[in-house]
Amino acid sequence: MAETLKLCQVLLRRRLLKLGYSSSRQSFHTSARNQIYDKDSKGGFRKEGDLNFPSRTEMIRDGFKQLKGEIMLWKEEVKEKLAMDPLMVARKGEVDVQWHFNNPEELAKFQLNSDKDHNHGYSTCEFKMSPSGKGLFTGFIDTRVPKDGIINTAGYCSMRTYRARKSFKRDSYLNWSMYNTLVMRVRGDGRSYQLNIANAGYFDQMWNDVFNFVLYTRGGPYWQLSKIPFSKFFYVSKGRVQDKQRPINLEMVSHFGITATDNSSGEFNLEIDYIGLEFDPAHQETFAYEMYKHDNFIVGH
Amino acid sequence: MLRPRLLSGVLARWTGGADRLQSSRNFGVSNFLLKKADDSEQEEQKQVVAKSIFDMKEKNKNSYIDMVRKYNERNVLKRGHVEFIYAAMKHMDEFGVSKDLEVYKALIGIFPKGKMIPRNLFQEAFQHYPKHQQCATDILEKMEQNGVIPDMEVEVMLTNVFGKTGHPVRKFMRMYYWMPKFNNLSPWPLPKPVPDDPFELAKLALQRITSVDLLTKINTFDSKDLEDSLDKTWILSAQSPLQKEILGRLPSDQPLYVEGAFKIWLRSECVQYFVLRGKPKPYQPRPTMDEIDDVSNLKSPYIDEEAAEKTLEPLRTVHEQAEGTIIAIAATGTSSKDSLLSWIRFLQKTNPPLDRIPVLFSMTSPFGQVVPVNDSAGNQGQRLSD
Repeated sequence: MAETLKLCQVLLRRRLLKLGYSSSRQSFHTSARNQIYDKDSKGGFRKEGDLNFPSRTEMIRDGFKQLKGEIMLWKEEVKEKLAMDPLMVARKGEVDVQWHFNNPEELAKFQLNSDKDHNHGYSTCEFKMSPSGKGLFTGFIDTRVPKDGIINTAGYCSMRTYRARKSFKRDSYLNWSMYNTLVMRVRGDGRSYQLNIANAGYFDQMWNDVFNFVLYTRGGPYWQLSKIPFSKFFYVSKGRVQDKQRPINLEMVSHFGITATDNSSGEFNLEIDYIGLEFDPAHQETFAYEMYKHDNFIVGH
Repeated sequence: MLRPRLLSGVLARWTGGADRLQSSRNFGVSNFLLKKADDSEQEEQKQVVAKSIFDMKEKNKNSYIDMVRKYNERNVLKRGHVEFIYAAMKHMDEFGVSKDLEVYKALIGIFPKGKMIPRNLFQEAFQHYPKHQQCATDILEKMEQNGVIPDMEVEVMLTNVFGKTGHPVRKFMRMYYWMPKFNNLSPWPLPKPVPDDPFELAKLALQRITSVDLLTKINTFDSKDLEDSLDKTWILSAQSPLQKEILGRLPSDQPLYVEGAFKIWLRSECVQYFVLRGKPKPYQPRPTMDEIDDVSNLKSPYIDEEAAEKTLEPLRTVHEQAEGTIIAIAATGTSSKDSLLSWIRFLQKTNPPLDRIPVLFSMTSPFGQVVPVNDSAGNQGQRLSD
């Protein structure tokens, strides 16, 4: 995992240099609406560690180490393409588990993020194994706003998968088009959590396309099985619900994440057994929200 | 500079509302604006000395609205109303009025009506009176953050101030469309706001936790009824007939554990609860594929009773979890060990099997993080040996 990350850093460094960031330590500036085109796909929300690059020779050496693994991956992809027998239909009532948190290796597939990492707040979070052997997303949400005169609200912690990748670190998508329901077996603490399914697109306006919904938790010692159909997820970009809504494109899922952003300061605990997908033939709804036709010059086309 | 505002006005049509980041505003309201002609010297002295007009002894909704009314009365020309509104919004939490729609309406009512409505295409396109529109948008943003759903009167007020093509009205439209959709989505509905009283809160919490079993009964006890109890407090205990049945089948040599305190959140309030659990029921080993395929020693479940027992497993109830079998759940007024002892004594009256099964207090739990518990309401706790 560490070597994969190092190669990603090489590619990231090249991209950042192109964007105009130098190798020296710079604080990234997160801009709201000062510019039409933000060249950075993360909008300035990068962590300090992103700029700690290893030496050039080390990067070249790591690159060569990666080569064998990447070629093996590429071979598998070619075989699958030539076989031409993709799975097209999911069986009724079966949950295809995507992430099963019963060992620490699964935990490493998620990256954590909180407002403290960007100096926008004081919340902390961690993702570890719980006493009962499941994944535990826990931390402290602090709604205290840092007194820098710029920040308006604070208090969020999130965990998100890394970008789906093909061989040679090419950005790819997860294909969930066989399914229509998200299934999660969780044990929460009564707080509500935000589910984010990102559909990162090619163009800059679509880099932050995300579909959100709420995961309500009962709290208590009993596990709960939450089934949320994908038709309920609404279209959001950079935290703002968009006027022109559309249903989620399940063929282009780039990330999956959970955010704890309840407006109350305090500890949060979300124990997750597994996150899976299901096809429920009884669920016929395509999209839960009205697709109104808007007036001219009000909403982007 | 005109250019950025121009772009921001056009861009604002794409995404709406105020962003999380906003430019710094540090405004104080000058006392000059509030001087009355017939003030006595003493009052004038007080006004000059006061740090801000929001420094008052009684901070509640009435005094807040009164302050806004005074501003409107003494300042017919509404000088510095944007600065006043921002200062007022900063102090809303102190007065405890952040979740009150009437207060937000009072703030929106400060804006002058009719003056800022655009009268031609250019004014419409370029965010006519941008500072004021941003201020009104910030009021609506604060409403949204506090979960206050606006009503039609707010739309009428905003239309009279900024016109229907202004950003505040458009943000209102978004709020009016989306907020009611999410208002009642939770499968476990809670009153808004949740009660302040700890007893009522605990009752709501236990109802929520035990909603898995609809036959659960929540009983109220008082430790005053027990002679040898140190803490005199209320005890809420939740148990269903199914749990009583399960308890009856448990062997006497395996102790039960009282674990806690665990936390459950009800909106922004926290309740501590405790769990009485037994050892988890072991899962029967599932036959491997080889065993299933092995046909050398087939036994018919219809003829052979032993084989029937092996192939069938009684369905697990919802209380028989992998971490333990949950017998009862409780919340007490003091959340102390002594109150838990009283709870067990009360439970023994309704559950005769508890007389024969030992009950231990546990400091750790497979159910999750435990908040350490006091011995009794006054003393700090010591570790009890398990």
